[in-house]
Amino acid sequence: MGVPVPFRLRAVWALAVPSLFLAAPGPAAAGIFGHDSPPPQWGLDAAKTPVPGYAKDARAVILYDEYVDTVDDQGHAVERRRWVTRILAPQGRDDGFCTVSFDVDEKINYFHEWTIGADEKQFQAKDTDFADVGDPGLPQMLSTEKVRVVRPPAADPGATIICESEEVTAPYLQEGIWGIQDDIPVVFRAVEVDLPPGRPYSVAWHRHDPVAPAEVAPNHWRWEIKDTHALDLRDVRSSLDREALAARMSVEWGDAAVAGDDKQWRALGEWMTTLEAHRPDPTPDIAAKAQSLVTGAPDFYAKLKNITEYIQKNIQYFIVLRGIGGLQAHFAGDIYRNGYGDCKDKTTLLISMLQAVGIQAFYVPVDDRRGVVDPLAPSLFGNHMITAILIPPDVNDPRLMAVVKGGDGKRYLIFDPTNQRTPVGNLPSYEQGSYGLLAAGDASQVFELPVLPPDANGMERKGSFTLSADGALTGTVDTSRTGPEEADLRNFLKDTSETERRASLEKAVGRDLPGVVLDSFNVIEPADLDKPLELDYKVTVPQYAHTAGPLLLVRPRVVGDDALPFDDKPRTLPIDLEATGDWRDSFDITLPAGYAVDGTPDPVSVDVGFASYHSTVTATGNVLHYEREYVVKDVEIPPSKAADFRNLEGSILDDEKGAVVLKKD
Amino acid sequence: MRTSVFLRYAFLLAFACSPLLVCAQFQAPTQDELKMTADPKAPGADAVYLYYEEIDNDPLHYQSIYARIKVLTEKGKELATVELPYVRGDWKITDISGRTVHPDGSISTLTGKPEDLLSEKMGGLQVKRKVFTLPNVEVGSILEYRYQIRYDDNHFSSPQWEVQKAYFVHKEHYSFLPFEAFMAGAAAHGSDLYLTDERGRTVNTLIWWKLLPPGVDVKTDIAGHYIVDVTDVPAIPDEEWMPPIDSYLYRVLFYYKAAGNAGQFWLDEAKYWQKDVDHFAEPTKAIHAAVETLIAPSDSDLDKARKLYTAVQVLDNTDFSRTRSESEMKELKIKEAKRAEDTWSQKSGSSDDIALLYLAMLRAAGLTAYAMKVVDRSQREFDPGYLDFDQLSDTLVVLSAGGKETLLDPGEKMCPFGTVSWKHADVRGIRESPQGLSMGQTPAQSYPDNTIERTANLTLDEHGGITGSATIVMVGQEALTWRQTALENDMDEVKKRFDKELEGLVPEGVDAHVNHFLGIDQPDVNLIVMIDIKGSLGTSMSRRLLLPGFFFDTRAQVPFVRQEKRLEAVDMHYPDRVTDQVNYDLPPGMTVEGAPADNKIMWTGHAVYLVKSLSSPGRLSIANSEARGFDMATPDQYQDLRGFYQKVAAADQEQLVLTLTTAASK
Repeated sequence: MGVPVPFRLRAVWALAVPSLFLAAPGPAAAGIFGHDSPPPQWGLDAAKTPVPGYAKDARAVILYDEYVDTVDDQGHAVERRRWVTRILAPQGRDDGFCTVSFDVDEKINYFHEWTIGADEKQFQAKDTDFADVGDPGLPQMLSTEKVRVVRPPAADPGATIICESEEVTAPYLQEGIWGIQDDIPVVFRAVEVDLPPGRPYSVAWHRHDPVAPAEVAPNHWRWEIKDTHALDLRDVRSSLDREALAARMSVEWGDAAVAGDDKQWRALGEWMTTLEAHRPDPTPDIAAKAQSLVTGAPDFYAKLKNITEYIQKNIQYFIVLRGIGGLQAHFAGDIYRNGYGDCKDKTTLLISMLQAVGIQAFYVPVDDRRGVVDPLAPSLFGNHMITAILIPPDVNDPRLMAVVKGGDGKRYLIFDPTNQRTPVGNLPSYEQGSYGLLAAGDASQVFELPVLPPDANGMERKGSFTLSADGALTGTVDTSRTGPEEADLRNFLKDTSETERRASLEKAVGRDLPGVVLDSFNVIEPADLDKPLELDYKVTVPQYAHTAGPLLLVRPRVVGDDALPFDDKPRTLPIDLEATGDWRDSFDITLPAGYAVDGTPDPVSVDVGFASYHSTVTATGNVLHYEREYVVKDVEIPPSKAADFRNLEGSILDDEKGAVVLKKD
Repeated sequence: MRTSVFLRYAFLLAFACSPLLVCAQFQAPTQDELKMTADPKAPGADAVYLYYEEIDNDPLHYQSIYARIKVLTEKGKELATVELPYVRGDWKITDISGRTVHPDGSISTLTGKPEDLLSEKMGGLQVKRKVFTLPNVEVGSILEYRYQIRYDDNHFSSPQWEVQKAYFVHKEHYSFLPFEAFMAGAAAHGSDLYLTDERGRTVNTLIWWKLLPPGVDVKTDIAGHYIVDVTDVPAIPDEEWMPPIDSYLYRVLFYYKAAGNAGQFWLDEAKYWQKDVDHFAEPTKAIHAAVETLIAPSDSDLDKARKLYTAVQVLDNTDFSRTRSESEMKELKIKEAKRAEDTWSQKSGSSDDIALLYLAMLRAAGLTAYAMKVVDRSQREFDPGYLDFDQLSDTLVVLSAGGKETLLDPGEKMCPFGTVSWKHADVRGIRESPQGLSMGQTPAQSYPDNTIERTANLTLDEHGGITGSATIVMVGQEALTWRQTALENDMDEVKKRFDKELEGLVPEGVDAHVNHFLGIDQPDVNLIVMIDIKGSLGTSMSRRLLLPGFFFDTRAQVPFVRQEKRLEAVDMHYPDRVTDQVNYDLPPGMTVEGAPADNKIMWTGHAVYLVKSLSSPGRLSIANSEARGFDMATPDQYQDLRGFYQKVAAADQEQLVLTLTTAASK
């Protein structure tokens, strides 16, 4: 979806064992990567660190991890890293793979690895133990980023892996970002930044209490963090992305090295503004196209709609990451001519077209994983670019829902041109409640992206069914979606073939209706993205109602599940509700002759503030009527509301399982 | 893409290479092609190939590829990005050109320079890819591109034409011009004495293997080309539970070989293999010495075989741990195992090394045993027409004792004595025998070989809450899978993974956690999982309690229940039997108002499903069992298979209704 900004957390895609390691290696020799030498003393010392109690059940533990960034007068950094990992279990072998990522503007000066085996025998990795792996990326991606990875010798449980590397980092970045928390425990981690005399710095922490640095030499700062527990999200239900939850720190030594979060964000925004300067300048072709799109448009919204839908539908998504190209867009003219681009490019072309028709718009770097961008931790950390469109003071259109009021009092409409089906005025749910940086020169600022009200998103589902005495159910389901829910389905339709759509619908409906036969389905997809999307289908379920002795049991909630994953474990992390919205179901089931209702589930009515759920089952004559409404008003709740969340989800689950008991007259 | 066979080049070209005519012209689209919005020959397709062409010219060391693709949906636009992998040094990709033809006939030409990206690099070996994206692609566009693959004069290449592609192809044209001596219609093959294979044998034949649509064949022309023209090739099927599909796709594979025909090829290769086996598995003095410490002279042949099997199974099998790197071996002063005694002294080896060590030990013990090289059925089907010995990847051992042969799988860690992994069951391969070398087939498994018995004992309260325990007893493949999981993970991790499996196995609202395993490190006993259970199972409704009729995983979600039609065979890997039983202790006053009815569903000769309920005051037991005697079903059997699973799925949805008597409810 988005474009990764270069950062110094370990690249996950590099952890797969390169297939070349599986090929027969050539003769081993010490070479450019390593020299025959015993492990360094710092490594031997770190290897003596006992595994603490909190780490004893981990698959591996980082005993020591130290970064030293030496910054020159131009702000360019050379980073040395030393790290020591102990493998504790067989599945921890992969944690011994040391990696260094690099791109076209970066250079690895050296990279060494030593192993102290479980039997204390010492090894050193040779050339044949190293490999470079290109970024496999997405199908629509072109990336020059690579990872150098070493396969450590003797990487068995009990072994200690010692790695050291030095890398000349990208010259255009004047910040360092370090992950503090991993999915394995870290006993000791240190970050040093050695700055030229007089060069200022600023430091920020995400989900970690600030740590005071020691000045180990003049303007050479060292932060030490001890005993960081693993962040294991495998069994955490309804969780935010791990990147949002993992602690990290960042240090700025460029223009953003100023006191105060707001000033830092402003400086980062100014840097971004300069980086993208003139990229959106409209060419004559762009200007002509933009003018043609708004000709006849009656109002501000219509102009926006015509231009945004043009870009959403006509500019193919294709990521190009080449060094600074991970941050800097192509020129609008090139994007328009080629007809493809990534999120920065789409934003660039949008800004360009809007500019051509007199509407001002700005870049907004964000992350498409809510919670990653932290207003209290200014940095360029993020993976996506969206657009802020300045709304003229005289425009007050209710269709413009995703509006942010800036610190300067101006109103900005937040729009994501990369999401090819979310209409202008609305915003993808995964971005709502996130933070973004408005890159608007000296007006740059960080702001929270809006959380839209429930009526901006949702689905209405109506079903009409007939039940036979043999338990078979036939009927139709009509659905109408709006907002991000609608955009999700539109994107799915765009990205799938007819066969895949049918299979997916069969699978989804089949979860509720085992053995279902999907007789037909029909999609009514208006060309206008702001018109509801309808999906209707007909089903036959050979044995929907089930006999239990003399009884016939019918579940009135025929299709659809609203319950989010939950459990009874103590909760310390925020709970992700995914999206605000209003979801309504209404099902009528005509019962077979000769049967009477002998019991119905009790009505459910839960309101926990951030969400509510109401359902009823009634029987009138031979028709069973089920109705429910699920309203979510927030996208994320704190762990203190876990009990309410469990109560809500448990009630939904019980309601969804509830059955009506029929008895023969 | 294709892979190629490299042969040693030891002569100079007798003719001068004329400059290659690189024709970057594209076909003019027809009006029908431009207007096309869907393809009746490929309903619902996102894109179709209008034309695909591959020209291979080995004398001039180049291949030329040309593709024309019609984009029919938004998803089809993804084909605008083209990736061309290659190995740097041996290959070059050149002369890339492309264009997008829009539905109105206008054209956008590829102008950007293709990126040359690294995929992997280790030592001198670099796998790279050229990547480009065609411009301004829209639904209705025709994508066209051409490129050349060139290789240097020291290489020969015989093409491998992958005729069936991810999308429907209207027309394909392939042409291959081999070296002069191998050209179609050449006076006599084998005239070129300078071309040798990797074993140093003179290459004398060009052989091809083909799997093509009916009526299509490899043709030749007067200029010596081998040609395939084919139309209307269906897209590669994509269905759940397919056999290894690569073995079933249309393709033509050419080889320069030193054998005159397939039979000769396999005979020659088998002899080389046997020579290697005999060398590696020679019962040397060291092997004899080791065997003497492991068996007693008084042991029966079978006991000897069993003891030796246990001895090799406990060695470090690097296919289940890790392979030592060259540098590590150098540091440890150990060399690549060339003989069985090396594997024994290192106490470590690959699956094949360990299998051959076992063979050497059996022979040292005076037993009669043979090696067998088989295909891994999880990866491919063996095809003797495909002249590549590497398709036989795994080594088994055939023990001849007590007047019968026993197939053993010593390289499959944790595989019990006398059994083989399903990957090696009912597969073909080459084996040694008293009569010499021959093609062989391993026995198929039957459902009693692979069983799972799940039993839950639960105490139910009047609100639907449950507490209790369950045991799962596994024999065969499932036990093998979990035992191998335990080799690669510690016990905490194995428990977590099993807990994850349990999530999908028990009803929603129920927590099931592994308490402990029994026999997870003992391949010859049943693997037993002890499970703690608690949670909420039922839905309470006035005086009734509704519960799912069956506690364990139902078969409602097997794909065949919803998949109406089937193109490919169904491959369920191995036959098995799963038996479930849940025993409820009911709360006082609770009686059974309705329970799953006794039932029997048959697919005669293939599978049977049984349900049985038994209730007594305060107690209820429900049991069901599915025995599946087949592992493969052909497409024409699919409707019978589906019918069986639909009936089973419906039966699995039965409910249990308990009623609180009036007296108790007071």
